[in-house]
Amino acid sequence: MAKGYRQAPGKSGDKKRTDGKRVAGQQDFGVPGSGGSNPHSNLQDLDYVPESVGGWKKQPRGPHVHDRHITGMTIGKSVPLVDSNWKVTGQAEYGDDIRLQGELIGKILRSPHHYAKIRSIDVSAAEAMEGVFAVATGQDSVNKFGVLPVTKDEHAMAQDKVRHVGDLVACVCAIDEATAIEAMNAIIVDYEVLPSIHDMEDGLKDSEHPIHDRGKYHIGESNVQKRVFQQFGDLDGMKSAPFVHESDWETAGLHHGFTEPHAVVAHWDPAGRLTVWTPQQVPHYLHRGLSAVLDIPMHQINVHRTFVGGGFGGKSDPFPHEMCAAILARKSGRPVRINFDREEVYWINRGRHPSRIQMGVFADDEGRIAGIETDALIDGGAFASFGHVTTYYNGVLHTAPYEIGAFNYTGARVWTNKPASGAMRGHGAVNSRCAVEVGIDAVSEQMNVDPMTFRLANLLPPHSRTITGFRVTSTGMRECLAKVREQSGWDEKFRNLPLGKGIGVGCGFFISGSGLPIHWDPENFPHATVHLQCDMDGGVTVHTGAADIGQGSDTAVAQAVSEVLALPLDMIRIRSKESDTAPVDLGSYSSRVTFMNCNAAIKAACELRDKVMKAAWEITGYNPDVLVLGDRRIYYKHDPAVGVSWLEAVHKAQADVGSLIASGAYRTPPMGGVHKGAAAGLAPAYSFSAYVAEVDVDVETGFVKITKAWAAHDCGKALNPLAVKGQIIGSCHMGMGQVLSEEMKYGRDGHLMNPDLLDYKIMSVHEMPDVVPIIVESNDPEGPFGAKEAGEGPLLPILPAVCNAIYDAIGIRINELPVTPDRLHKRIEKHCRKIKVDDPLDLPVPRFEPGPLQQVLVERAEAHAKRDHLRDIQEDRSSYVNGVLFGFDPDKPMAEQKEGWREAVVPTPQDLADPSKRAARAWGHVERRHRGDE
Amino acid sequence: MRMPPFTLHTPENLAKALALANELDNFDWVAGGTDLLPNYKWHLNPKPNVISLAKVNELTALSGTVIGAMVRIHDLANSEDAHPLIRETAATIASVMIRRSATVGGNICLDTRCYWYNQTEEWRRSIDWCHKCDCDTEADCRVIPNQNTLCVATYQADLAAAFIALDATIHLASGAGARSMPFAEFFQLDGMTRNVLKPGELVTHVTLPEDAKNWQGAYQKLRLRETWDFPEAGVAAAWKLEGGKITGLRVATTGCESIPGDHSELAETAIVEWSGKDSIRELADGVRKAVKPVSNTYFPPAYRRKMLRVLTRRALAPLEHL
Repeated sequence: MAKGYRQAPGKSGDKKRTDGKRVAGQQDFGVPGSGGSNPHSNLQDLDYVPESVGGWKKQPRGPHVHDRHITGMTIGKSVPLVDSNWKVTGQAEYGDDIRLQGELIGKILRSPHHYAKIRSIDVSAAEAMEGVFAVATGQDSVNKFGVLPVTKDEHAMAQDKVRHVGDLVACVCAIDEATAIEAMNAIIVDYEVLPSIHDMEDGLKDSEHPIHDRGKYHIGESNVQKRVFQQFGDLDGMKSAPFVHESDWETAGLHHGFTEPHAVVAHWDPAGRLTVWTPQQVPHYLHRGLSAVLDIPMHQINVHRTFVGGGFGGKSDPFPHEMCAAILARKSGRPVRINFDREEVYWINRGRHPSRIQMGVFADDEGRIAGIETDALIDGGAFASFGHVTTYYNGVLHTAPYEIGAFNYTGARVWTNKPASGAMRGHGAVNSRCAVEVGIDAVSEQMNVDPMTFRLANLLPPHSRTITGFRVTSTGMRECLAKVREQSGWDEKFRNLPLGKGIGVGCGFFISGSGLPIHWDPENFPHATVHLQCDMDGGVTVHTGAADIGQGSDTAVAQAVSEVLALPLDMIRIRSKESDTAPVDLGSYSSRVTFMNCNAAIKAACELRDKVMKAAWEITGYNPDVLVLGDRRIYYKHDPAVGVSWLEAVHKAQADVGSLIASGAYRTPPMGGVHKGAAAGLAPAYSFSAYVAEVDVDVETGFVKITKAWAAHDCGKALNPLAVKGQIIGSCHMGMGQVLSEEMKYGRDGHLMNPDLLDYKIMSVHEMPDVVPIIVESNDPEGPFGAKEAGEGPLLPILPAVCNAIYDAIGIRINELPVTPDRLHKRIEKHCRKIKVDDPLDLPVPRFEPGPLQQVLVERAEAHAKRDHLRDIQEDRSSYVNGVLFGFDPDKPMAEQKEGWREAVVPTPQDLADPSKRAARAWGHVERRHRGDE
Repeated sequence: MRMPPFTLHTPENLAKALALANELDNFDWVAGGTDLLPNYKWHLNPKPNVISLAKVNELTALSGTVIGAMVRIHDLANSEDAHPLIRETAATIASVMIRRSATVGGNICLDTRCYWYNQTEEWRRSIDWCHKCDCDTEADCRVIPNQNTLCVATYQADLAAAFIALDATIHLASGAGARSMPFAEFFQLDGMTRNVLKPGELVTHVTLPEDAKNWQGAYQKLRLRETWDFPEAGVAAAWKLEGGKITGLRVATTGCESIPGDHSELAETAIVEWSGKDSIRELADGVRKAVKPVSNTYFPPAYRRKMLRVLTRRALAPLEHL
């Protein structure tokens, strides 16, 4: 035991400085860890250490496997995002801030036609212009790409056809923007215009010129890109249920409306390697895409993610303009920068799918949800993007949080000649979730029960399985509902407010990470990997490929490492930008980063900690079992005075083992069913949320104003409550835009009429209601420190909450989004005519008289609350599957328990008999390989 | 997005500005620039010369009855001297940031707007241009197809309705001298010519009648967002009460057609036998019938017309019980 590392009580000198600075040679402790704004180290903050490991933090839902890694440092504390200073001082470098010496400006020539064959392209005039360095066309980029390997249907530039106005035709790079624009306009393209498709239902029909040709996998001659059929449960029981609400929804396409337009810089360095700077959510898939398009191995490419000025799913595809920049840079031998105008952002799109959803919600006479029947036709635009998954998500993501008797889903996604739809916050779940929740509100009304009670009496418990086999671990749904009910004063307000004022509730359910990676991976390659390195200074550098897109993933991973190692956040450095130095992370989509990357980070940090603890053992003589990690100090559990500073232990560890590095990885556990499509919607954990919204409706004009929202979200554990609240409030704003104003408007000739931020109506701060964010912590057993996602799920419930509140205010059921004033006004006029009221100010308001079922459901909800608690604290470890509420034995396969129980993913002709079901029509075509084509 | 190059001229007084205007044959005036510059960026009829009025001091007068063309909307909205109806209307224009820059003259001379016109060059190429900015193709109007004689782009300035309701007079100046006219007569029913300004002529100021202070009024405006959005319909009403009786009533609309609408004749008829709510209802119906918006802004025209009725009723609500 070296001298000076052990504190000598009472010998710290007579004069004690109070200004926080050390007196040389007279410090209370040995040399504290370097870094940190406070030179003095502290003991563990027991307020944040769980009681299961001796701290004071209460754990109403029992202990967690990560409890013993908690040091009370940052987890659960509201800390500003680690990169916020860069942003607020304007020093963050976004895509457009990258400037390289000798860079050229690239411009993209786009199609003026919805759909046309390219007969010829003449670039000679453009090439001959002074200041033009390179011109590229589809011939320079013959390889396909796409974010999903199963649906690669994009090229950097059009090959033989352009598929929507704004589709990429050619690109040029020149000495400055003016020259590039001039050169772009000098390219002569000869088009043969083809008949274009704009209505999604036309996409279901056979076409003379299908927008894409998938060869033998093509579905007939149609424009159907993907079709899904899933039938689970007792469909006859569902059909005979006494309470039914069926509604035909039409929801508009949306754009993410992020602040930063796309921008990319590509440069081939003298060694022949390509570096691409781009604000990407998913750098890894771009890495793969670039390799495929440019025909070079991945190790010759460095994808450098810049700061991302908002993504929300809109920057998660590998994009053609990124390929264009690389192609131009290769041709010209100079760095090439391409910046988008706002209009180009709308043309590349990848926003929410315009959808037509037929939603049926069925309830039986015991107040159970007998089934949910959905037919969703979604408009994919010109390319596949994430659409394969979206088609599943529109159905499978409403198999929870409720226990349902049957699930009948037909879904189809079609190509049309519009900008491509893709993934957007709440991917695929938002529109159909809104329809389900409005349906639930409507059947509650038919049954004369409070919709809040109806929901509480039909929730899946923790540690259960959904009807299609998703594994639900933790759920805080019940607590979310209880909290918003209490805080909003629901019981006094529901159906009691005057005309024009309403209150409504809605719930949400979302994946916390996608169970399978996008690229099929037989080797079970990790989803996330984190490397740590610690050097002489005691600080820890984290290498991760997780893309911080503003959601705070850098902060989350820093917190995870800081927590395990008991270091202040300013001793953690994140290196997450370059694929050259970062281990592979699959990217910021499907709300996977906190869950997966923090789990990997905890593993890595534990490995590093153990190495340092071993050194501390050798210095102090105490076994790591009795040593505690405090703030930059490792000390003896029973006498904090005995210990060693973090820095001394690090130095000793380095002396012992050489370099101090560690690595951790995360892969999902095996789970889910075996049917086709079982992996879609599968996640290691799910988030839950419940919102109550209050609205003011102007019955004369149709204007809706959200006055207040209570937003409860179960994120498992709020690693950083500040960030979680930010996500909840931000989600509210975004969802509010979708429900009230945002839409991509297409004119009568199929042109996008509002590709700008003046006419694409994102709500301003004036319309923003007071949002009360409520964090519910369900302590997920597999989440990092119990955490689940908080980035997408919170968006879902605001839509149905507002729709249900509008019903409460004026008695009109919404089935079209957004609820713009003109649309609602039309509905009000129609409603007035129907019930023969002249003045909308005299409209009757819905009122609530509890029926006989109400008490039954109240009692069931109470019994279920007890059941859920026992399962939460794992006192009850019995298995539970969707169907137990309907009298099933959870340990027997479903099909053996009940005649008529169905599990089918291929439709029979009877299933498709109803001609009014739109997506079902997609199954009327035969895939070419099955009809005997060559 | 690049602004096309132009030569900026900054004359220091009105005389120099008008002289300059005489010399240049193809130019635009610019005041606050909040309308012109976005349009230039979109290559909407840009000119090689732009004359800025920023340094012309003669146009900034502001009192109860005189409002200079170069008065900032923000200053107008916060002026204690200005008529309450003008203040109220000014305060609803666009957003705080824009009001700080935008001017009264700029608002009056606001270019008409249309979904098929206020788009980037590439977008307009994809529809083969339109009548208002046809790039020498003699393209048809895209709102009302198969004609290229009339432009139906919408005039979306708020102040015009208030000025008409207050019976204001507009004053113009050019190298050839000054002239003035009743405010409503300033406009010409065509989305391209828009108003009576001759080449080289500009708006110098607006005056209100001496007894304007005896008139009260209200402005009602339809738009999706409370800030920022242009009016999809606007109704200004002004009335004079004497001894508990309405002795004058004027109503004007904006945001619905290529020019603002003056409905004072309807209003004058209505006050002959005023019966509160019923009269208001009748007048509101009259206004709705008199205005015919087309489908070229965010809200559909049928809805905008119906809302005119509601807005008129709401503007006249203080007269319900008279």
